[in-house]
Amino acid sequence: MSLLSDPKAAVDDLSRPEAWVLGVSVAFALFLLGALLTGALGPTYFLFLVGLAGMYALLSFGLNAQWGFTGLINFSVAAFFGIGAYGSALMTADSSPIAGGFNPLVGLAVALVVAFVLALLIGIPTLRLRADYLAIASLGLAEVVRLIVLNERWLTNGSAGVRGIPSFFEGWPVFSTLPETMPGLRLVVIPGSPILLGTSFWRASLNVLLVLAFAGATFFVLRRAHRSPWGRVLRTIRSDEDLARALGKNTYSYKMQSFVLGSLIMALAGVFYTHLNLYVGPGDLDPITTFYAWVAVILGGSGSNRGALFGGIVIVTIREGTRFLNDVALPIDPAPLRLLLIGVVIVAVMRYRPQGILPPQRELIWPSAVDDRDPPDPPSSGVREQKGGGGDE
Amino acid sequence: MTVLGYLANGLVFSSIIVLGSIGLSLVYSIADFANFAHGDTMTVGAYSALVTFGAVGGLGGAVLGLPYGFFLALVAGIAVAAVVAVGTEKLVYEPLDVDSIGLLITSIGIAFIYRAVIQIRFGSDFTRFGIQPLRPIEALVPYGVRVTLHDVAIVGSAVVLVGGLHVLLQYTDLGRKMRAMADNPDLARVSGIRTKRVKLWTWVIGAGLAGAGGVFLGLFNQLSPRMGFNLLLVIFAAVILGGIGSVYGAMAGGFLIGMINQLTPFFSNVVEALPIWPGWLAALLESLISIEYANAIAFVIMVAVLLVRPNGIAGEGAT
Repeated sequence: MSLLSDPKAAVDDLSRPEAWVLGVSVAFALFLLGALLTGALGPTYFLFLVGLAGMYALLSFGLNAQWGFTGLINFSVAAFFGIGAYGSALMTADSSPIAGGFNPLVGLAVALVVAFVLALLIGIPTLRLRADYLAIASLGLAEVVRLIVLNERWLTNGSAGVRGIPSFFEGWPVFSTLPETMPGLRLVVIPGSPILLGTSFWRASLNVLLVLAFAGATFFVLRRAHRSPWGRVLRTIRSDEDLARALGKNTYSYKMQSFVLGSLIMALAGVFYTHLNLYVGPGDLDPITTFYAWVAVILGGSGSNRGALFGGIVIVTIREGTRFLNDVALPIDPAPLRLLLIGVVIVAVMRYRPQGILPPQRELIWPSAVDDRDPPDPPSSGVREQKGGGGDE
Repeated sequence: MTVLGYLANGLVFSSIIVLGSIGLSLVYSIADFANFAHGDTMTVGAYSALVTFGAVGGLGGAVLGLPYGFFLALVAGIAVAAVVAVGTEKLVYEPLDVDSIGLLITSIGIAFIYRAVIQIRFGSDFTRFGIQPLRPIEALVPYGVRVTLHDVAIVGSAVVLVGGLHVLLQYTDLGRKMRAMADNPDLARVSGIRTKRVKLWTWVIGAGLAGAGGVFLGLFNQLSPRMGFNLLLVIFAAVILGGIGSVYGAMAGGFLIGMINQLTPFFSNVVEALPIWPGWLAALLESLISIEYANAIAFVIMVAVLLVRPNGIAGEGAT
């Protein structure tokens, strides 16, 4: 089933939506490649977009670990994202009102610890609640976090936000100076419009490398966790919490574990965002971030990690595509257009494909269980015939 | 400002919250999901009134400092909000084949669509109804109460609307059907109540009241595409405090949350005056109980109520 060993069989093996997604993705990639080669899309900006897509994919992974695995309606994604971003920004930035100037790795550790504590603070009261109450309560608590970040100037610099954030690789042996030491490249694909790859390009490549590392590690951890006995308990809770309890599982504890795991991943996305954007403000905690992550997850297919990845890419396309559209064709303010598209996507998915585009199917089965190179021969005759019956057909 | 002044402000703000929370609670109990588009329904009402008022103008005379045209605009706001909500129910919610959580998520999409359309048409800036702001009523200023005739109009209209709803629920056929349906939809249907039709009327009433609340909110503060969404969680807090599904609970909850919201500066004065020991606790309370956290206090109350008394202060749902 590997794409490399037997591409034709692998393609034949895809379900229809999978084939569609693959086709559209390939077309989209070719389109981007064309834009890159003709110089319509700057390579540095493209890498920034890749980083952003990775970040949304991380956020969606985090939400997927909560909603997709366990069925927790968490509307406080933005709070964890923001706490991750602020945690690392306040630790590393020059203009930080409290500490500042630490190594970004310290920032990462602090952000994760703070997110862990916040996850417990939000989770302990709310995870006992009914599903729809959990949604409202978590949205409310996320707003409380946003208001605190906005108003406690001594801690967060208030509405001015935090600037002067170093890159994630600051202070690392080789990576910190890599962008400066790499030679500037000059590619001429189309005569007359050369593509220059300078320091900023290499810096952006490092960021992409970082998000690939974060997202890749998260993806494999989540995939492994989802198939494990632990993941099976979570799936049981999602489909029937009373059943899980009847089987002797402490569902509250499992829900808390899944909530904390997801929250840490969201905080990781925030940490990456800090070092990608190099500025963090209270606007980053706006509830819209929460709903971006939600759209990514329900569009991709709740419970499916590759669906979350796909959803993350769609979100960035909507976000940046509206901006591009505004520059090129339609003079509509991109902000409401984006909101409209997000709303339409939510309604359309719920109306026509509530399970999402790539719902988890084979993802949940151990590969060794399906990936049988030598499938057992089907019996040459039916059971009924062997018993000598079958007269009723 | 004196306590009386804060209470008067609280009364005005409460009227708006009550109008919003009744509709949210009705829809929660009869359509059976948390409607996140309710706040944006208020925005729809407010902007419809803005357009109507701009079109018809003052129409001569004025009541309580508000031109006749404004009341026409209020009716238009209520009507448009109701029509939009019924259209959404028919086009979107009714054909859906999902559970109440799916409806909740869909309603977020609907909220975004409403807000986006308004923002595309009117921009994201603040606007006002073209009505001269009034000076506070002179006779009340010595008591520290600074309310305008407009505020009196808001409270008066809210009382009329809420009173009308009470009569409708208690003394009409539709009201009895609605109460029956909120109590047990299956039983109501078996008894021959046309539940679909009752549901549509619920949307009309709930969204209409929300539209009125939006118009008054625009008069009280100003209009912006985010005005409803920003108020949504406060309204949820009111509904949960009153007990989901209970209309009278929603009224009580809306009243309390509105009061608490506007009394926050008074509470912070009280905290400053009280000799709280130890000092760090006093400092903490002083920094947390301040006008910036007025909404946050409502949200924390909401979570606390959910934990301690999920049925709200009114107890078991008695619509």
